[in-house]
Amino acid sequence: MDTSNVELINELLDKDVEIREKIKDEVNEFDKKTRTLCGLLNKIHSTRSEQIPSLLNSVRPVLNSCQDTSAALAALIPANQFWRWRDMWTNSLRSAVFAATLMHYLEAGTLLTLPSVSEILGIKDEWNDRFALSAEDYLHGLISLVNELSRLAVNSVTLGNFEEPIKISVFVKDVFAGFAMLNLKNDALRRRYDSLKYDIKKIEEVVYDVSLRKLAPSTKTSDEAQHVAS
Amino acid sequence: MSTTDSLSSRDAILATFDHFRDELDDHNDRRERLIKSSRDITNASKKVIFLLHRIMTEGDTEADDRALALRAAAKARDKLRDIQNMFAAVRGEVVGDRFWRYQKNVSPGLQEYIEALSFAHYLEHENMISYDEVQKTLCAEDGTPHFPLPVEDYLLGLSDLTGELMRFAISSISRRGGRLKASQVCTFVRACRAGQYNSLDLSLCSAIAVRPIFDMGLLSFPCTSFVRLIADVSVDFEGWTPFFRDLRKKQTVTSQSLEKIEDVAYAIAVRSSEYDIPPELLDDIVERTVTSSTYGGTYGGDRKRRRIDDLDGDEE
Repeated sequence: MDTSNVELINELLDKDVEIREKIKDEVNEFDKKTRTLCGLLNKIHSTRSEQIPSLLNSVRPVLNSCQDTSAALAALIPANQFWRWRDMWTNSLRSAVFAATLMHYLEAGTLLTLPSVSEILGIKDEWNDRFALSAEDYLHGLISLVNELSRLAVNSVTLGNFEEPIKISVFVKDVFAGFAMLNLKNDALRRRYDSLKYDIKKIEEVVYDVSLRKLAPSTKTSDEAQHVAS
Repeated sequence: MSTTDSLSSRDAILATFDHFRDELDDHNDRRERLIKSSRDITNASKKVIFLLHRIMTEGDTEADDRALALRAAAKARDKLRDIQNMFAAVRGEVVGDRFWRYQKNVSPGLQEYIEALSFAHYLEHENMISYDEVQKTLCAEDGTPHFPLPVEDYLLGLSDLTGELMRFAISSISRRGGRLKASQVCTFVRACRAGQYNSLDLSLCSAIAVRPIFDMGLLSFPCTSFVRLIADVSVDFEGWTPFFRDLRKKQTVTSQSLEKIEDVAYAIAVRSSEYDIPPELLDDIVERTVTSSTYGGTYGGDRKRRRIDDLDGDEE
């Protein structure tokens, strides 16, 4: 091989290594933030519903700080190379999606859309060839959300909140109906999707227990419970 | 949080997921299409490689190896153009940031194409095709690339080339009749003196192994030139192995290819130095050596056979 070619190859490789190192640093930061987020959000299982808003307020600054990471990553990635480096941060990004959607659910009881998650994480549309929130990552985040909610259904009953499991049940079923519309191929998303039914089963059992003992008040919810039980 | 959008009804959620479904379907379909074209490109490239082998080993009528090589390269060029058109057809699928999303799906075909292209290029120019030259073949007429050529695919494609050259070198040796061209050996010697060899051990070894052979004018040019090329590749590539996982594996195969040729070269050197034998007799000896070296005979039978099996396994 002639020297100029060898030099060119080395130059290209050095450039890649440099980018990779820088991304790795940012992703480490990102990881730290999402770990803190998940750690703080773990407290929802032992927090009474009255105190949830104040817990969420204490978590929000951490979530907002993810915006800095998004901006830093978008600045690092060369044009059109989003998919090339994306594997490096998917796990952190999915955790961030999970945290954002969970917080929103606890606050409003509804599903946060993909564009809204992007907005909260400070991901700008014009970065879409460098740093974006893909449908796949968003859906992975949602599955984590459902996993977590099935646990919350159990723990909220322990804390004396008998309505929560029923609300969760309605919400999770809506999300599940959404997932059922997708043509998933045999990949990680498909496997995690398959796990959703166990979460739903667990939530249904809680709803059943609660409604059988007439612990849950409203009539609308007992309709729901009957529907679940049958 | 009040400004953000959320979905409170099942219908709204279903509408969003409808959109996701379209997006995922679009992605999966495109992926399938690209895998298909990649497979087509792999097939077409393999045919080019076989074509080159065929012309180079069957062309006994041709008096001059060089002319033969040029003829082979010219024939291959047409076929390679067809493959380049296949890449041009793929272009629309991998616009902008999409290329890197599907790079893993495109790369098997791309590597095979680079192998075929570099083989033809080697026969024509007797050197290694450069990164820029490969990229140039993957451009539209206006000079814009169909997609950026990944360094990884370039290096892995070249790595495969060494396997082809090994096969080719061995079959060249066993061909009857001296095809030695004084001028070519001369070129080779000059290249040697000019320091084509790195001071690294590997290529030095191959230089030592080859030197006595061309000194005696016994080995035809293509073979010595392959040894040099493979040794070169091996040396350059060694430094790049940390960058790519696959390269290390291929590097092992390259070293094995090199060793096989060296074994053959060694046998020729040793035996012909002992006796003053006529070329025809040498041909017989060489043929025997080649057979045993390829099918795991003579020295350390089992070890040798295992190594050849490994090689076959890796190449598939």
